[in-house]
Amino acid sequence: MKRLTWGFTVLVALAALVWAGAPAVSQPKVVKIGDLGSKVGVFEGYGKYQTWGVQMAVEELNAKGGVLGHKIEVVSEDDETKPAPAVRKAEKLILQDDVKLLVGAVSSGATLAVMDVTKKHKTIHWNSVSCAEFMRTTKFHKYYFSNQPDSRMQANGLAKYIVDKMGKKVYIFYTDYAMGQSDGRQFKTALEKLGGEVVGVAGAPLDTKDFSPWFGAINQSNPDVLFVAFAGTDSLRLMTQLHSFGMTKKYKMAGIDCFLLQQDLASIAEPMEGFVQLNHFSPYNPDANMQAYNARFKKKFGTDANIAAGSYDAVLFWAAAVEKAKSFDPDKVAEAHEGMCVDNTHIGRQCIRKEDHQVVMDMHLYQVKGGKNLPIARIAGSDSIGEAMVGKDPVEGFTWEIKKK
Amino acid sequence: MNRVLSWRAVVVGLLVALLPALPFMSKFYLLLAFDALLFGAIAMSLDLLIGYTGLVSFGHAAFFGLGAYSTAILLERGVLSLWACLVAAVLVVGLYALVVSYFATARRGIYFALLTLIFAEVVYTFFRYTQTFGGSDGIQGVPAPRLMPAFAIDTPLRNYYVVLAYLALAYLVCRVLVASHFGKVLVAIRENEDRARFLGYNVQRYKMAVCLISALLTGIGGALYPGRSAFATPDLMLWTVSGEFIIMVMIGGLGTLAGPVIGGAFFVLLQEKVSSYVDWYFMVIGLVLIVIVLFMPRGLLGIRAMLGFKQWRATA
Repeated sequence: MKRLTWGFTVLVALAALVWAGAPAVSQPKVVKIGDLGSKVGVFEGYGKYQTWGVQMAVEELNAKGGVLGHKIEVVSEDDETKPAPAVRKAEKLILQDDVKLLVGAVSSGATLAVMDVTKKHKTIHWNSVSCAEFMRTTKFHKYYFSNQPDSRMQANGLAKYIVDKMGKKVYIFYTDYAMGQSDGRQFKTALEKLGGEVVGVAGAPLDTKDFSPWFGAINQSNPDVLFVAFAGTDSLRLMTQLHSFGMTKKYKMAGIDCFLLQQDLASIAEPMEGFVQLNHFSPYNPDANMQAYNARFKKKFGTDANIAAGSYDAVLFWAAAVEKAKSFDPDKVAEAHEGMCVDNTHIGRQCIRKEDHQVVMDMHLYQVKGGKNLPIARIAGSDSIGEAMVGKDPVEGFTWEIKKK
Repeated sequence: MNRVLSWRAVVVGLLVALLPALPFMSKFYLLLAFDALLFGAIAMSLDLLIGYTGLVSFGHAAFFGLGAYSTAILLERGVLSLWACLVAAVLVVGLYALVVSYFATARRGIYFALLTLIFAEVVYTFFRYTQTFGGSDGIQGVPAPRLMPAFAIDTPLRNYYVVLAYLALAYLVCRVLVASHFGKVLVAIRENEDRARFLGYNVQRYKMAVCLISALLTGIGGALYPGRSAFATPDLMLWTVSGEFIIMVMIGGLGTLAGPVIGGAFFVLLQEKVSSYVDWYFMVIGLVLIVIVLFMPRGLLGIRAMLGFKQWRATA
């Protein structure tokens, strides 16, 4: 019996390995790029639009002959919004599919984990959605680039408007993982620097279903402004529940750029009325570049674009860098990226800062009116980007302690 | 060779050791093979509990995660010796397993399963909210451990052989155990716990011992994980991971040791392949599990019997 058991074991193992190892048939003159993002779960919406942005850029580039005479192919993978699957899929994209560019991931926790993979395997890595502050500081590596305004950029741009126009007493409520913690920390730092007062802070776990246990503390601290750092379906639930408790009318509301996608706003227009956020894109911004991009996007996908449009630009930047380097070699392409400017991004001309590979983005403050994100002020990229802090701890000396005034 | 280790097992081990020589075994497939062997070994460890003792643990992810955190914490702090990481994992997981097994084995059936689940959730929550250990992001970007001061386990090939050695060791321990008198008592407990008690066996002590052994083997597996992935996150301890371990055992075949190794490897490969084509890949895995439970209650190893080979019987 043992002989049969082991014989069978070997048979199954070999069959499985042959199945897993079946080599993909590669096409000549094709270069692959990887799209890694959430396809299901809390951040599904961002992952979907990231993929569409990549697809649109690839289609436009291929129509012009591709890059370095190679047709571009996209390989999309789901990171399940968790570090472990994200790492596994990043390894698959790089080591098996041989992608020359990896765009992703969506969740900051997953992106931070993927950065170790792209560093180890020397792969150009663009982040267009995640915003934790460690990516262009302590975790930075030469193959990593970002056109997502990170927490520090958002806080720098938003805090001044809040202190000047909305109120000085702010309660910070954040989703308790990399992105929310980062947003909360940077916003608290920026606000206190500008003379604002943080009257309370609280973090709720990712994918929280019932936020009401935190509402008592918010009401007790009696803020002028409630700053919320959530995203995806968490934001939808939070706003619905805040509204049912009458808190969206009681407090002025502000939040991070990825709080809700434009597509979600129509269905939650009333709770979101008056909500202020800093963003690099809105289909309701009259800017000619945004309108042109949105028209093309809408024609192709039948819906408005949103902040995941950064993934479109990421592919354009990479393709331009490859053409400049005349090579797919990651070291040469990484060097070609540094300081590079591209004119035809979704918001027009943008440039990559050499020191920390962050795209300097002009952004707008938006306010939700009738379910639409309408621009109310423009923030120059140079005013929000802050100093380059590669290798430095961006949260050194930070404390969540509430300083009573 | 003997009743514990047959020459066929040695041949299979050698064949698996030669796998990296196959032409299609790229770095990616070596990493995939690492996962397949690692989770296969963990499923085998769990089989000691489920298949041999009749105890369904819903908390094995905590043992795995604690092992992973033990290594990640040491590596992050510059302690790069793999041996130090393994010792730390054994101590941490052992201590935790002692507490869990003491309370959980005092209860039977669903209560045992629930207690293991609850303990695991406590550990998950602790790491999820403790910023010292990175909170929800865990510990990331840890360096590769070293087998010797000048020998880092920093390539997929080296990781593969480390996990293969671990699987061989775990298999040997499990084989010795199930072939011993101790193993026979475990089966007796599974078949009729009251009768085993009436025969004079201290049932709880046996259950605690097998829990501890299973937990330690799982914890050692966990300790190897950060060397391959460079991180340890609370997600590794989530109850869904415990559920995956149970699925691996069921897919392979309960009470067979070799079956869960196949089940673990099959699960990893299925997950890898299907998730590249289907977003909701767990539906496919769920369907596979339903088919196996309904039509192949003896798991993948049971296919042999279905094909007309000699009747297979789990756990003598």
